[in-house]
Amino acid sequence: MPTVLNTPSDEKTGTVTSKPVIVIEHLYKQFGRNVVLEDFSLTVYKEENVVVLGKSGAGKSVLIKCVIGLLKPDKGNIMVLGENVTALNDDDLDRVRSKVGFLFQANALYDSMTVRENLEFPLRRHWINISQKEVEKMVKEALENVALLHTLDMMPSELSGGMLKRIALARTLILKPEIILYDEPTTGLDPVTAREIDQLILKLQKKYHTSSIIISHDMNCVKNIADRVILLLDGKCYADGSYDELEHSTDQKIKQFFE
Amino acid sequence: MAKQGENNIKLGLFVLAGLLVLMVAFYMIGKNRNIFGSDFELKARFSSLNGLMEGNNVLFSGIQAGTVKSIEMVNDTTIEVTLQIDSKVKSFIHKNALAAIGTEGLMGNKVVNIQPVKAASFSVSNGDMLTAQKLISTEEMLQTLSKTNNNIASISEALKATVLRLDSSAIFDILNDKTIGPSLKSSLGNINKASKNASDMTMGLNELVTQIKQGKGAAGLLLTDTAFAGNLKQAITKLKSASDNANKLTLQANMIMTSVNHDMNDGHGTLHALLKDSLIARKISISLDNVMKGTDGFNQNMEALKHNFFFKGYFKDLEKKKQANKALPVQ
Amino acid sequence: MSLITNTEDFLEQTGKISRFAGHFFSHGIKPRFEIKELLSQCYLIGYKSFPLVGLTGFIMGLVLTMQLRPSLVSYGVQSELPVMVGIAIVREIGPVITALIFAGKIGSSIGAELGSMKVTEQIDAMEVSGTNPYKYLVATRVVATTLMLPILTLLGDAISLFGAYIGVNISSVTSLRFFFTQVFQSLTYSDIVPAVIKTLFFGFAVGIIGCYKGFNSTKGTQGVGISANSAVVLSSVLIFIIDLLTVQLTNLIGLN
Ligand SMILES: Nc1ncnc2c1ncn2[C@@H]1O[C@H](COP(=O)(O)OP(=O)(O)OP(=O)(O)O)[C@@H](O)[C@H]1O
Ligand SMILES: [Mg+2]
Repeated sequence: MPTVLNTPSDEKTGTVTSKPVIVIEHLYKQFGRNVVLEDFSLTVYKEENVVVLGKSGAGKSVLIKCVIGLLKPDKGNIMVLGENVTALNDDDLDRVRSKVGFLFQANALYDSMTVRENLEFPLRRHWINISQKEVEKMVKEALENVALLHTLDMMPSELSGGMLKRIALARTLILKPEIILYDEPTTGLDPVTAREIDQLILKLQKKYHTSSIIISHDMNCVKNIADRVILLLDGKCYADGSYDELEHSTDQKIKQFFE
Repeated sequence: MAKQGENNIKLGLFVLAGLLVLMVAFYMIGKNRNIFGSDFELKARFSSLNGLMEGNNVLFSGIQAGTVKSIEMVNDTTIEVTLQIDSKVKSFIHKNALAAIGTEGLMGNKVVNIQPVKAASFSVSNGDMLTAQKLISTEEMLQTLSKTNNNIASISEALKATVLRLDSSAIFDILNDKTIGPSLKSSLGNINKASKNASDMTMGLNELVTQIKQGKGAAGLLLTDTAFAGNLKQAITKLKSASDNANKLTLQANMIMTSVNHDMNDGHGTLHALLKDSLIARKISISLDNVMKGTDGFNQNMEALKHNFFFKGYFKDLEKKKQANKALPVQ
Repeated sequence: MSLITNTEDFLEQTGKISRFAGHFFSHGIKPRFEIKELLSQCYLIGYKSFPLVGLTGFIMGLVLTMQLRPSLVSYGVQSELPVMVGIAIVREIGPVITALIFAGKIGSSIGAELGSMKVTEQIDAMEVSGTNPYKYLVATRVVATTLMLPILTLLGDAISLFGAYIGVNISSVTSLRFFFTQVFQSLTYSDIVPAVIKTLFFGFAVGIIGCYKGFNSTKGTQGVGISANSAVVLSSVLIFIIDLLTVQLTNLIGLN
């Protein structure tokens, strides 16, 4: 069982008081001749919500995929909870991953499985010896968190986009991870549902004291949940500051995002 | 989870069904190939195998009795064949049984036929050597048949001439004619040969008929044609009687010859011969009648065979060859 | 759709597939074994394909018999019909037709399934959830196709022969028992064993190609469609190539 962080949050002051959970140093990643990340560095501290902004195709998804070890960077180090994910073997990587939640841009729910099986999957895979009773309890709890308990035995194809997003969120959170990586949690949703998702993220973050990297284009969402905002531009960390700081920035490139 | 269990049961059934099919297939083949049979072996030596191979079937009185296990050259004219015999059949095979190489149908696989012999004998024991029978192929049989026919025809020709002379001239002339002795003798020799051929033939054809009855006939063709089998049987019966006749005739003629020769050599010469005149003349004439009848019957049989569609091709070929031979000197 | 655009592509493709297949042996069949997933794939791939294989097998046996009959009759050897049909089905037609049907059904479904899993990041999601997708998705499917196709072929052969039996009985009368006696009279182990072994390879080819195409699917529904399609085309071609190799090999080692 993962240890749930119990240290109380010092509210959203933007000030850094706790130890770093993710440290990205001089990250390089290119696909063929397409250079996506070039000397990117970022540190995320405990119980901090960092929002990454960036144009489509800037490499935001690539960045967080590198963090969870889905992509191997060409150069640079990524320390997650004190372990260098670029140099871990499969078993150790799995151990780190069990403490990191990842919400995919396109949900990535297994469409051949029911909602229940989707939620059970990471549980049973990461904690092999978990009992059936415990699994059921945790699945119920995760679904209650997103208020979708009634969909337990439905197939993903029977659910709406917003419901899918929430189920995906539930799946991401079911392991009670210490770190959550959200890839565009509100994109493609109506404003009302998007707000619901925002609130959900905040609520869960309060409940489980998680740290997260959130990728978003939705400025309302950014405003609501960001402790810190990063602007990814040309493969580098172009700007780094609180929402207010960036909103009032005079830099033309930063301003574009806040119009 | 209950569904998973159910699916696994279905999968289990499916896999077992597949394995069952495989096992049944292996068993069926094994039964045919005698893999699960006994280690009971018999041996036979042949001078030629005519294409017999390891794994070919062994038939005992026409039923599947095993397979050819191994083939080994003993020397340049002897090949030893080891037969693996089914345990169910082995107790019925006697030591004096004959092994022969035959064919399943006219152009099928080679088989080893084990034929029981009427005379009493002990049952075989493991590793016994069976007496080999010279193989009779259909081809050979037909060749013999035609030779016999020719022989009988020429004999009857010769005898006919003799009879004509006997009829026309005085018995005196015959007796005086020094040539008649040897010619008669050679005729008798021919008859002998012919009758031997005929009896060989009969045996061969008999075997063929048996084979046909067993359904091993000419590539399934004969299988359906029971009428043909009947014809053949009839032909064989007639052939048998013809050869019997020929045999009888040979005996009679031989007796006459001996007595005539005897008389002449003894110097009793003509007088004695004259005394016997009427008797001899009658006897010779009866004998020749018999010969005629025998050959007639035989020729009829041959005709019948010729008309049978199965042998048609063969006789046509024969005819063609004959014509070709005739044509050759003219060129 | 052109399968091969140029030689370089072809070679690259071949190399990648070989490496993908090599990965199966170097990593796919090492622990941890995904037994449960393997069983459920065996169920889906084997059991669920059975009705289709059975139906096509039955029709094939029936039609083959009816087609062969006239020419055998003209040679006067129609009594050899079971023998001919038996050899044809067991040695060649059963394995190849079953494998082609299998490639059509399973190859495309694996290609499309893994393809859509790939483009919707389900494969990445699996990896994040502590699961090696190669072992969980590829190895199980490849093992399942490799093991299930021989079983399907055996059952298909049996049903095909039953179809042939009915075909023989349309215009003459034979007992089932005599029919099978005749069929097995001319069959040997060297007819069945290579036929079973080659279906193992057929199954492996269908599985590997389906998974490779799915795993390397490009984005979008079109990419998934192409994966499914080229999985079927390529595995069908491979089936024939393997078939050719097997017949040459069995000839070479004198099993014929
Ligand atoms: N697996 C891959 N192979 C090759 N190129 C890739 C791959 N993944 C991403 N890229 C490229 O990397 C670049 C960044 O892609 P990425 O998905 O990170 O964009 P993004 O910032 O997430 O954009 P969006 O906001 O649209 O999701 C793109 O140009 C993309 O073409
Ligand atoms: Mg993205």
